[in-house]
Amino acid sequence: MTLHSSRPDARTDLLHGTLDMLILRTLQWGPQHGYAIGQTIRAQSSDVLQVEAGSLYPALQRLAKKSWVTAKWGQTSANQRAKFYRITPDGRKQLLREESRWTELVTAIGRIMKPSLLRDNEE
Amino acid sequence: MGIRSWLDRRRLDEDDFQEEMRAHLAIAADERMADGADASSARLASRKDFGNLTLTTEAARRVWSPWWLEALRDLWSDVRYAIRGLAKNPAFSLVVVGVLTLGIALNAAVFTMLKGMALSPLAGVDRSSRLVVICGETGAGRQLRVSYPDYKYLRDHDAAFSDLMASTVVTAGLGRGPSSRSIWSELVTGNYFRVLGVRAERGRTLLPSDETAPSGHPVVVLSDGLWRRDFGADPDIVGTTVEINHYPFTVVGVADPAFHGTIVSYDIEMFIPVTMAAELGVYGGLAPTTSSELLADRRAALLFPHGYLRPGTTLANAAAQTDALWATLSNDRPLTDARQRLALVPFWRSPTGGQTYLLPTLVVLSAMGLLVLLIACANIAGLMLVRGVSRRGEIAVRLALGAARTRIVRLLVVETLVLALPGAVLGVLLAARGIPVFVSYADWLAAPQRLFFNIDLDRLVIGFAVAVACGAALVFGFVPALRSSRIDLASAMNEDSSPRGTAPDRLRTSLVIAQVAVSLLLLVGAGLVARSLEAARSANPGFDASHVSAIALDLRQGGYDDGRGRTFFRHLLDAVRADPEVEAASLGTFNPMNLIETPARRVAIEGYEPRRGEDVAFMSNTVGADYFRTLRIALLSGRPFAERDDEHAAPVVIVNGTFAERFWGGVANAVGKRLRVGDSEWRTVVGVAADVKYLRISEAARPYVYLPFRQEYRSSMILYTRGSAPVQSLVDRARARVASLDVNLPVLYARPLAERVSSALVFFKLASAMLFIFGIAGMALAAMGTYGLVSYTVRQSTHEIGIRMALGASGLSVVRAFLVRGVRLGAIGAAVGVVAALALTRLLGSVLYGVSATDGASFTRALVVVLGGVVVATLIPAWRAARTDPLRALRHQ
Repeated sequence: MTLHSSRPDARTDLLHGTLDMLILRTLQWGPQHGYAIGQTIRAQSSDVLQVEAGSLYPALQRLAKKSWVTAKWGQTSANQRAKFYRITPDGRKQLLREESRWTELVTAIGRIMKPSLLRDNEE
Repeated sequence: MGIRSWLDRRRLDEDDFQEEMRAHLAIAADERMADGADASSARLASRKDFGNLTLTTEAARRVWSPWWLEALRDLWSDVRYAIRGLAKNPAFSLVVVGVLTLGIALNAAVFTMLKGMALSPLAGVDRSSRLVVICGETGAGRQLRVSYPDYKYLRDHDAAFSDLMASTVVTAGLGRGPSSRSIWSELVTGNYFRVLGVRAERGRTLLPSDETAPSGHPVVVLSDGLWRRDFGADPDIVGTTVEINHYPFTVVGVADPAFHGTIVSYDIEMFIPVTMAAELGVYGGLAPTTSSELLADRRAALLFPHGYLRPGTTLANAAAQTDALWATLSNDRPLTDARQRLALVPFWRSPTGGQTYLLPTLVVLSAMGLLVLLIACANIAGLMLVRGVSRRGEIAVRLALGAARTRIVRLLVVETLVLALPGAVLGVLLAARGIPVFVSYADWLAAPQRLFFNIDLDRLVIGFAVAVACGAALVFGFVPALRSSRIDLASAMNEDSSPRGTAPDRLRTSLVIAQVAVSLLLLVGAGLVARSLEAARSANPGFDASHVSAIALDLRQGGYDDGRGRTFFRHLLDAVRADPEVEAASLGTFNPMNLIETPARRVAIEGYEPRRGEDVAFMSNTVGADYFRTLRIALLSGRPFAERDDEHAAPVVIVNGTFAERFWGGVANAVGKRLRVGDSEWRTVVGVAADVKYLRISEAARPYVYLPFRQEYRSSMILYTRGSAPVQSLVDRARARVASLDVNLPVLYARPLAERVSSALVFFKLASAMLFIFGIAGMALAAMGTYGLVSYTVRQSTHEIGIRMALGASGLSVVRAFLVRGVRLGAIGAAVGVVAALALTRLLGSVLYGVSATDGASFTRALVVVLGGVVVATLIPAWRAARTDPLRALRHQ
């Protein structure tokens, strides 16, 4: 997944939202620094989604601005300085909202792409 | 929490973010090293993996900053880009800025004058344009001053005004002896300063209590300028006594430095209560009397009342109220020579002041200024269009890279603004340098009295220039910009810029038509003005001003009473006539071609019953014996005044030819008829003088009456001497005679009469010259623009020419084809121009003389020049195109 965040228009809003959701989801299991967030998303998507630094860090700033995450400098296990992000209670609520929106979206797209399959499932 | 820390919290922490980026890179590199890479390649790889650090930082920053800051940043980058682009094209940029500078300077100068006449006519007075003036108006539309009792009645009863003051302008002699000076003063009511809201800089202003004792309370408020120039800014001026017309006045204050009185273009230097009117020699058209009698007389046309309307009152409303009041007043106390009505006019239409003769010209000038600017815009739009075509490649690339159309349009509009604003600044600067030239010229003409024009280059002017520049930028920049953004990507990217296969270019066509039309309009205007100047120069004013000196005196300013005055003038005439160099000498009250309206007096003609509402008041002049010989005014019948026509002889009068024609059906019948001027006894007509241009060269014939000086004494007279000696020596000798009789008497002016008369022509000449310059400048611009556009169209069609010629067309037929096309456009433009000119040249009526606004010769000449220009503009490029090699033309793209 390659994300650019140069222009705030409707098209990129959707992508922004998705990346934000992925980051919040990653932070649900505990505070992480930026590099680790990127690596986690990549690993969990089996290398399909590669988040570029150019998208990741602006996204983290966006989340911090909305107070969905907080940031604090700390030490990594390899004893390196890094900025750790922690999800806030507001962030968790937002994650829930994003998840349900995303599920809706996937279902809707699924209905169009694979109508028979879904109908079978529903029955 | 302070606003500063709130702002900080709302901003990206730059250092922190950079550190985070560095930490990211370090962790990534470590991880690679852990996988076995060496340190430097690990660093390099993680750096490469990261992508563009600057863009990332910018994106992060953008998360925090508000949208408008972003827009501003984008705008700034547009401005920088535009400046870079225009700097690469200095010739184009300079031409555009130059054309605009000229156009805006012309408009700013005219606007500044208009502002000083109408928008904020009085310096130092808030909302001066909202002042309303009351004046009497006869059935013939002649405007009269209002008597003091009537003014007081209006002031006390007119509910439309919050308050009413009144004033009139008068020249007065200040001081005694050689240093004495004749200056413009205003006779004012006590509430004058209060109504205008003008404060005193020193001492006090005049107050209502100063208006109570006729003749008994001589006080004066000086202008700041007079106080500084003539009294060296004396800090103890208040309470001192100055001599005005040899009468002692106590200085009670100095007015605010910004204030110059309420007569537009006059620098008023003294303010005196109206109760001292008679002492200053103002009698409101009546025979000399005392101030208290004058102020009680309803027939004395003395003052123009001014005031601000009450909030919420419209002019029409107020006029109705004043009308009703006037009706009551006329019923209660009818006037024998009742004026028809009172008129309320906004201040810019006030019957006194420079705006009365300057405004019509200024309106015409500003219309022409706007036309010139319009042509400049059309010109620049043409240039932009051509440039837009050459930039199609650049714009297409931007569009292909995903730039929004609005973004492209914005860039192009910013570009035009970058061109327009320097034009505005330079234009204002140019106007600022040009206006003082005009003012000093006008000042020189008015000496020794001083002029004042409220023509500071203030915010209003600068705002006007910027608005005009921005408007122009939109006109010449926006349309081409819109077109440029609507490019067909594929063809533009393929470098195919020929208009082949597209519909005829309507915008370019209409630009050509518009320019031809406007240039025709301006040429017609310039032609009319040129012919009118010619006519004015060769016109016969009815008198001969060459070799005549004019020395103006007012004996009141020397403290003379009537008896001593008569003696003085008799001695003076005897003295100058004794000079062997003087062929003839005489006296007169008003110069011919006086420019400024002189008072009209009611004339009763024996055996003639005026129609109801007919205006039988005419201008008159009191003149000495030998007047007609001295000024070489022809006598059509009868005899001139002689020395024997004195106070003991039978009353006589001389009328002009128009008077005789109108009332007695011809010059021959006039002599021996009788008439009364004002309230005087019956006078017998002894002669008929030829018509003269009494006010200005362009005036219509009017009845006029001459009275003999010895039967109607005036203290304010002009001494004329004629001789073959150089006129300046005549002036000096006559002046010396005056001084030898009374060294203390101020001389109002001593000049050759020709110079004095030419000052009456000056506004006419000035206006004509400016109109001519505007016309020629506009025409030159339009010709250039038309040539550029037509030749550009031809160049664009080189490809088409190649095909035609390859198919066997001769060069001649190609030229003919283009010529037909060009002339068709020119003809359409010319037709539009003729229609517009017919509609608009009527505006010129007020500044034209001796030529009709629809003068055939001027129209024909303009048509020939304009169509000739179009033919040449088409022929040259078409001819060049026809001579090119068809093969090269086909390849030309």
